Amino acid sequence: MTAGQSTRRGWLARAPARPATGRRFWVLLAAPGMLWLILLFIVPFYAMLAIGAGQLNVVLQTPVPAWNPLAWSRGNLLLVLHDIGGTGAFIGPIILRTLGYVAAASLLSLLIGYPAAYFVARFAGGRKGLFLVLLIAPFWISYMMRMLAWVDLLQTNGYLNRGLNLLHIAPVNWLGGNPVAVVLGLVYGYVPYLILVLYAGLDRIDPALIEAGRDLGLGRARTFLRVTLPLSRQPILAALLITVLPMLGDYYTNQMLSGSAGTSMIGNVINGQLQAPGLQGQGAVLSTLLLLVLLVPMIYYVAATNRSAREAA
Amino acid sequence: MHPREGWSEDRPRLEITRRGFLGTGLAAGGLGALLAACGTSTTTGGTGPTSHGIPLPRPDQPVTWPVFPGNKAIKSGLPPERNATLQLYNWTAYINAAVVKSFEKKYHCKVQITTFNTMSEAMSKLRSGQVNFDVFMGVTVDNMGTLVEGKLIQPLNHSYLPNIANAWPDFTNPFYDRAWRYTVPYTIYTTGMAWRKDKVPENPYRMASAWAMPWQAKYKGKVAILDDYREGISLGLLKNGQYNLNTTDPGQITKSQQALQDLSRLVNVHIDNNDYSNVPSGQIWIHHAWSGDIAGALAYLPKGVSPKVLGYWFPPDGRGPVGNDTLTVLRGAKNPVLAHLFLNYLLDVGNALTNISWNGYMQPLTAVTPQRLVKEQILTPNLMSTAVLPSYFRRGVMELQLPAAANTLWQQAWLTASKGI
Repeated sequence: MTAGQSTRRGWLARAPARPATGRRFWVLLAAPGMLWLILLFIVPFYAMLAIGAGQLNVVLQTPVPAWNPLAWSRGNLLLVLHDIGGTGAFIGPIILRTLGYVAAASLLSLLIGYPAAYFVARFAGGRKGLFLVLLIAPFWISYMMRMLAWVDLLQTNGYLNRGLNLLHIAPVNWLGGNPVAVVLGLVYGYVPYLILVLYAGLDRIDPALIEAGRDLGLGRARTFLRVTLPLSRQPILAALLITVLPMLGDYYTNQMLSGSAGTSMIGNVINGQLQAPGLQGQGAVLSTLLLLVLLVPMIYYVAATNRSAREAA
Repeated sequence: MHPREGWSEDRPRLEITRRGFLGTGLAAGGLGALLAACGTSTTTGGTGPTSHGIPLPRPDQPVTWPVFPGNKAIKSGLPPERNATLQLYNWTAYINAAVVKSFEKKYHCKVQITTFNTMSEAMSKLRSGQVNFDVFMGVTVDNMGTLVEGKLIQPLNHSYLPNIANAWPDFTNPFYDRAWRYTVPYTIYTTGMAWRKDKVPENPYRMASAWAMPWQAKYKGKVAILDDYREGISLGLLKNGQYNLNTTDPGQITKSQQALQDLSRLVNVHIDNNDYSNVPSGQIWIHHAWSGDIAGALAYLPKGVSPKVLGYWFPPDGRGPVGNDTLTVLRGAKNPVLAHLFLNYLLDVGNALTNISWNGYMQPLTAVTPQRLVKEQILTPNLMSTAVLPSYFRRGVMELQLPAAANTLWQQAWLTASKGI
């Protein structure tokens, strides 16, 4: 790109008087971020691979990472694959259950989160800031504390059952391995993330487009369905991605609100493996496999974003 | 203060508890051998530590650990270090702060406590050599080999420890450390069955096998077992009538796993280590439990609920899981004399009672009897069964270190049973 081009990015190219110095400047500016990424993502990820593809010190019961890819072993991978699909496999059904819980929780989160985000983006007016602070407020309390609060609410003598008692309804054993409690816990834990991302996207929808829909004779519902919802596609996708990914790896919600084998999710299996001396290598393999599976929606999201950007252009 | 003040709430749920590390330890290898053994096998193979020539300590195979030339006990008659800060390394919430404060006052020193959440975390920190503690508390007996052969702990000079006379005689010559060269005992405990007497009419003391008590469909959603691979698989073994809780037989381990999976199907069993709070709150009615946790459960009873509703069963003949933790002085201790004095302090009957009143876990001192605990109002009479008797260590079964390959079988079986249904 040369100086004088009038594209949106033109100013970037025009700015440096001396291109070589300019490049160094931008490289330097990007360096901390790159270093951060290398130290906190790429290195740990490689360590996970090396542990998964490594051996076991049978005496210490600790994993021996294989840093050299030429020395990688398939041992742990085969054991994990056997647990997923071999005879007596126990991880396979857990994967299906995890997908079911996450799908239910995501749908519910969307049903709860979309109206909230839509309201803040479109109708909060001068109180937008206040609503945003209220939405972010749960993040000030640790996730563990929020889950413990649910335990108080849902336990046998908890507030919810006491309320049911007033209505002469028999108490429900919410914490006795109840999938509903787990799904609701996931929704509660992750819905603020969803709302924030949705809000950021919905806030950018040009109100003129919605008004145009109304001006052209569409009713409220049809304007929403024909204009707002299609324009919300990208924000919804982003919001679902931001909640589905951590939900798929979540183990804590389940442990706090159920603690029963009948509701365990893939995160619980990984956590169990990482807690068990001797099985950490398998835990690393299963984590890597999960990460690879999670890449699929991420790639889809990136592709969809690019496509929509091209369409917009 | 109550017995669990200071516990991080996730600790008992998320990790192998202070009692749960039995069996993953490394006794017997020696660090040279351990390092040489690196990378020798995948998870299903490998040799047990016995191949390194030192037997796994067992009641019928006691071990006298050697004293190495470069790691001798301190000399007798040394004065305590002055202006010192004694560094303790201990499980989270496993000592009464009042005992620590009174020690500081008596010996004009400061005491600093650093805590760990799992024995593996503690062992890896100690092995790294990056830490500088004086006393290592609550050490499970299966770690003796690593600690001694790795020269991580120092031999004790018995002249500083006259209070050992207060301890049960068995603990002055335990099988895991003959002649108590490196350890003094800390806490003792049993694993049994806790139940809510107001909700469960069956009395385990009258049942043919109380180990099968959780397998009752009518208590669906109200039954819990301990989240610990050794305790979990051991429960399955005991339910199946197997009393060798260190079995290496894959058939027995698989049968235990199946029994636990049956339990999941039958009652949707809850798996947690919150026996101390879930039973008093009424969330759980039958809980596979640790004695010390149930002794401390009184503090968690909701207002208006009588302590009499709590029950704890351990086989009256003492034939059930028992265990103990130890106290050791680290080799790198900067204050070895104070460290010895601290061990001695904890063996004092008065101090032990103060400690138990908060900690819940008993200490094996002759004067600390169940009757004394009741008299001192540390225990209520209906929970006298949480007290541990000397005879339990003769008739009881201990979960001890397993050979590595068998340990992996246990871990795998537990993972399948606790997560997979």
